[in-house]
Amino acid sequence: MSTQEKVKINKLPTGVPGLDEIVGGGLPEFSFNIIAGAPGSGKTTLAHQFVFANATPERPALYFTVLGESAIKMLRYQQQYTFFDPAKLPDSIRFINLSQVVLEKDLGAVLEEITKEVEKANPAVVVVDSFRTMVRKPQSEMDLQTFIQRLALFLASWQATTFLIGEYAEEELRDNPIFTVADGLFWLRQTAERNSIVRKLQIIKLRGQDSVPGLHTFRITNAGIQAFSRTFGLTARKRNPPGNRRLSFGIPELDKMLDGGVREGDSVLIAGSSGTGKSVLATQFIAEGIHHGEPGIVAVFEERPEAYADRAASLGLDLETPQKEGKLTILYLRPLDLSVDETMQSILDAVQKIGARRLVIDSLAGFEMALSPGFRADFRESLYRMIFALTGIGVTILSTVEVDESFTEFPFSTYSISFLCDDILRLRYVSIDGQLRKIMVVIKMRGGNHAKDIREYEITSKGVVILGKRLTNYQSLISGIPIHSDRSDSTDEPLLDAGIEHKT
Amino acid sequence: MTAAPGMRDLAHRLLTYEAVAAKTSEPAESATLRVYEKLRQSLSAFAGVAAFESLAFRALTQAKSEASGLWAVQVAADGSLRGLGESEPQIDIDKDLPGGFPAGEGGIILIARLLGLLHIFLGEALTASLLRVTWPVEVFDDRNSAHGRNA
Repeated sequence: MSTQEKVKINKLPTGVPGLDEIVGGGLPEFSFNIIAGAPGSGKTTLAHQFVFANATPERPALYFTVLGESAIKMLRYQQQYTFFDPAKLPDSIRFINLSQVVLEKDLGAVLEEITKEVEKANPAVVVVDSFRTMVRKPQSEMDLQTFIQRLALFLASWQATTFLIGEYAEEELRDNPIFTVADGLFWLRQTAERNSIVRKLQIIKLRGQDSVPGLHTFRITNAGIQAFSRTFGLTARKRNPPGNRRLSFGIPELDKMLDGGVREGDSVLIAGSSGTGKSVLATQFIAEGIHHGEPGIVAVFEERPEAYADRAASLGLDLETPQKEGKLTILYLRPLDLSVDETMQSILDAVQKIGARRLVIDSLAGFEMALSPGFRADFRESLYRMIFALTGIGVTILSTVEVDESFTEFPFSTYSISFLCDDILRLRYVSIDGQLRKIMVVIKMRGGNHAKDIREYEITSKGVVILGKRLTNYQSLISGIPIHSDRSDSTDEPLLDAGIEHKT
Repeated sequence: MTAAPGMRDLAHRLLTYEAVAAKTSEPAESATLRVYEKLRQSLSAFAGVAAFESLAFRALTQAKSEASGLWAVQVAADGSLRGLGESEPQIDIDKDLPGGFPAGEGGIILIARLLGLLHIFLGEALTASLLRVTWPVEVFDDRNSAHGRNA
């Protein structure tokens, strides 16, 4: 059989922002799904979002409630969500209560009742909430399995996409025969970590779809559930091969040290202790990009956008005008309890909104502090995913990181993230001639021919200015406590990697 | 506290509609019972018998404080109303005049209270959606309300 003859499975929108990406483009039509999780994990809300996104008067949704929460109470709360459109009731969405049948009869009668309603309404979507409450005797788990098998067969024949909602504990996931019947199994988790609640969603199984594996963060707001894919929605985007274009800092001497500038699509790390000018360099980088028509995003965590723009203005850099013109967005991401994926989604949304080519994250320490404690463990992995995703579409990322000044070692980052970065620029203080002066050095430049020079610089009213000569008459500069030597063969030309010619 | 005027007006419209329907097509029956029974069927299917029974019991308790004639009325376990038929007179549609309610004041209050609870729990839009399943849309046309007729 050729590929053309294979059946095409339509994908239905889930109605949950971010979830379509996770499930591989949408939920398979006519699939039989189970939404499982603990009470309060968002199961009903997820089902409602799907129902409201797909139900029509011609192919309505039947929402069967069983025991537990009454539809009146459920709808009282659910209608608070912005996705809830009361006009869809009752023509497109019909609520039917089965509690009396469950209480007075057996599962066979429940199936009969559902069958009767389905035949009458010809629904596109069927939800049973909660199917577990139908089992009133512990020994009737086998009956439930038979019931579900028959229900699945019947509803698939009637071309309905189905959700069964059930309260399950984590340990019930294994070897549960009920789950084998399902085409899709959605597991919602919420755990308390220190003072924060962490919500995560896992697609344990989804037949016929290439869903994104792993645990995905989700949040419940007044708009309902929003899911954050671990791939940030960029899996479908074509990756841009790294180009040869060099991006300037607007600091000619620094550009020379970087063999003409940062390679487009690189991830750059500027590491240094407090006051060494990391943010100043980052600001100059973003301002230079805007000057060359490259929109930029600055994600700040430690100061407000106004203060950031004011500080740039004191360096003669206008960040107000490009903000008004839509060429620059300064994102202030300070609220605590954010998940790392949510924060990164905000950055990605901003990048995609203005077509940013340069992104500054100032700083990684602030970023980490803005996260809910439970997510800090995932910080490095999530950062890796975001950098990979963004640089893959050609965005150049510059991150700043504060490192403790040490006179016995020369660390690049406290996060062990240097492997994530293509280029590393290290700033530090040195004690020279009774002064605390500043030096910078390019530690690493992947695929580039960077200078090995250690250069002294100052922060002036025009930003970072690299002083004329590389420091040759000192030894152990990077220790911070250099030893004066008698050599004085300083030169203005940067010394590049041995054996590699300086490309101009 | 009495039933909200808007709910009383809506209850009155439903009762009037049912009173007319009873005279033209079906056996005579208390309009209140007819409205109540339709609400019971519709809401029990939607929310379950127990949920309806709870709402009805609450509505009746509230209504009794306004209409002493309802003292003997009770809500059964299946949500049906007992004891109303004997004491509740027919709605006299000839007396369906603005400014006052016709016979069946207790019934109007009971239905108004029930609608009021739905309104409180579900809001105006959803309550209206549920009622429209059972009654024709013209019943809810404001021009047919007491207020509309007054205008």
